[in-house]
Amino acid sequence: MSVVLPLLFLLSAASGTLVVLVREPRRQVFALSANGLVLALLFTGLQAPDVALSEIAVGTVAVPLIVLVALGAVRTDRPGQDAGSGENV
Amino acid sequence: MSLLPYATAAWLLGIGLYGIVTSRNYIHLIGCLAVCQSATYVLLLGIGYRRDAIAPIFYDHPPGTPAVDPVMQALVLTDIVVGATLTALLLVLALQVFKRRGTLDPQKLKPMHPPSNAGTRDAGPREAGFAGEARPEPQP
Amino acid sequence: MSPRLRVLLLGLAALVLAPCALAVIAAMPEFGTAIAPYGARINAVAPAERNIANMVTAINFDLRGLDTLGEEFMLLAAVTGTVVLLRGRRGERDGDRAARLPGRAVVPRSEAVILACRIAGPLTALFGLYVTVHASLTPGGGFQGGAVLASACVLIYLGEGYAGWRRGVRSAVLDAIEGGGALLVVLCGLGPMLVGAAFMQNVLPFGTFGALLSGGLVLVANLGVAAAVTAGFSQLVLEFLEETRAPRPDGADGGDDA
Repeated sequence: MSVVLPLLFLLSAASGTLVVLVREPRRQVFALSANGLVLALLFTGLQAPDVALSEIAVGTVAVPLIVLVALGAVRTDRPGQDAGSGENV
Repeated sequence: MSLLPYATAAWLLGIGLYGIVTSRNYIHLIGCLAVCQSATYVLLLGIGYRRDAIAPIFYDHPPGTPAVDPVMQALVLTDIVVGATLTALLLVLALQVFKRRGTLDPQKLKPMHPPSNAGTRDAGPREAGFAGEARPEPQP
Repeated sequence: MSPRLRVLLLGLAALVLAPCALAVIAAMPEFGTAIAPYGARINAVAPAERNIANMVTAINFDLRGLDTLGEEFMLLAAVTGTVVLLRGRRGERDGDRAARLPGRAVVPRSEAVILACRIAGPLTALFGLYVTVHASLTPGGGFQGGAVLASACVLIYLGEGYAGWRRGVRSAVLDAIEGGGALLVVLCGLGPMLVGAAFMQNVLPFGTFGALLSGGLVLVANLGVAAAVTAGFSQLVLEFLEETRAPRPDGADGGDDA
């Protein structure tokens, strides 16, 4: 136990750093997901199973998924369609 | 060891802020904000931790066994779920910026100008008015 | 502000704040020695007071239930804001085709993926329900169970494709579930006042410690939160996926319905 917790703390700091340093959003999604997984492990180590479950479901799956879909929406955006949408929205 | 949890939280907040300041893409920036947010999780759970204690669930252990702080866990739990929906809201705002301005780079955004027919007030360099063309080219 | 100036400002702020942060970190209580008195009191008192085994659930839905009510409406407001912003531009109409990028091959979904999703989807939903209803016993509750249920909902999209997802998951139904969940939590607060108790006072029988139906009002509030979180997250994914939808061939869906 005395080794696992510090290791998990360091790992979560490293994975958080990775999320920041991966500049390409499409790659960052995977770093974000990995960060969620590491945080969930850390929370389990800190005796917080409720929080870990929540982090697994939300931080590892839901948020990266929404970011991915948002990236998809940016990619498939159709410039011609938008011509008139600027003034009356 | 005793300082590591708090140092981790401070580091996550700092590196997240660095990412926000240097980000060239709003979607990347929102990811950096999530890192800042995770600093609060680490800090709160670090404060609530007690060595050789069980999780605050007395199903397998009799009540009265030393347990970690449940208040911090309740705080973090709701924070994670509600924070995720706020992340979604921010992503929508980023999408709106992209649809209006055609860029996700904070550097390339100019202050919002009123539509071109009303804009004779300010003398600064301005775009042709985003109502007029589909994709105003951002000026360097 | 140029990027360089901005980084410089950040560095300056960090230089000023770093000693303060170090001082605070050094003055923090030793990691892992003691917990705050409030949490310790709850651990000591709440299991017998409420017949709940999971203290986090007890805090979320009973002892600090008012906070959860606030969180619930933050969730509702965030989802509503997202939906309004996305639909305001797009309108209420829906299509049934996902957008295609020109020049990109469309790989048909393999049967293995469809089979895996059809098996994993119901299992995930079952697990989500299990996590939700065992809130007072084991780790879990409305927030976690709701997120798991929403991911089960997303598996429909992965397995059945865009058209099947559109047919199966109705936006209006999700709206109703989400609003209904939030309403249930509010009623959990107002209901006790009808019998003369305080707002959100736990007036239902607590049941026996360690039984599935224990905790009284906690179970009801838990269900309300589960419904709201499930529908909220499904709604978010649905609305974002709508953004990648293909335009109608007849050009009937312009972007300016606001």
